[in-house]
Amino acid sequence: MLASPLLQPENDPPKGGDLLLEKLEDSGQSTESNLNLGLPEDSSDASSGEYVQLQRRIYRAALIVSALAGTITAFFFGLYVSISLLIGALSGILYLRLLARSIGKLGTSSKTVSKIQLLVPVVLVLAVSKLSQLELLPAILGFLLYKPSLIFQILLESRSRVSPDHS
Amino acid sequence: MDSITTAASVVAAGLAVGLGAIGPGIGQGSAAQGAVEGIARQPEAEGKIRGTLLLSFAFMESLTIYGLVVALVLLFANPFAG
Repeated sequence: MLASPLLQPENDPPKGGDLLLEKLEDSGQSTESNLNLGLPEDSSDASSGEYVQLQRRIYRAALIVSALAGTITAFFFGLYVSISLLIGALSGILYLRLLARSIGKLGTSSKTVSKIQLLVPVVLVLAVSKLSQLELLPAILGFLLYKPSLIFQILLESRSRVSPDHS
Repeated sequence: MDSITTAASVVAAGLAVGLGAIGPGIGQGSAAQGAVEGIARQPEAEGKIRGTLLLSFAFMESLTIYGLVVALVLLFANPFAG
């Protein structure tokens, strides 16, 4: 009973609320954008662009390493071994692409890192074991050829952090 | 293939995948937790955090892949099969 004078009737809207909404709609701003806590969108876009650039550097380095390894293998071990190695290397790059995509979605559209990329080595080993022309060991070694490019990127980043003037 | 060799290969394949996935699973979980917390605290460093997470995930998940490859070789291209 004591609180009844404080309650407003339903027909009487709170003063100022509708006026504020009308002002916001007239100025072309949505209420969601006004609830934004000052997140710098430009820096976020630049940051995601940095992630895309890192991915491109890794893919480029992996392709170069794969081409070099394929050429050397074809020269020393023959054509079929080289084809097996190149198939494994392309599978490794595909695995890295799927991993990068799932990490890119982490925190925005999914809460966990998906494990779909682990199907790539499974399919690779199954395919190589079924096809008699391909060999298993070069395919597995080719799959692991993405690792030198990752190590190269880590060394590059650590060097640029130590000496930021030279980057 | 001998039946004992077949049974041992199947058990070894299961152990290779199961035991090999425990450590990387724990590590990936804690790394993802730290990365998401870091992105929430410092959204302007999102690209660097995601890049570091990609590199660390690739190295961690390779341990799982080693176990997976060993298991698949034991199951589909067993070198101990008569």
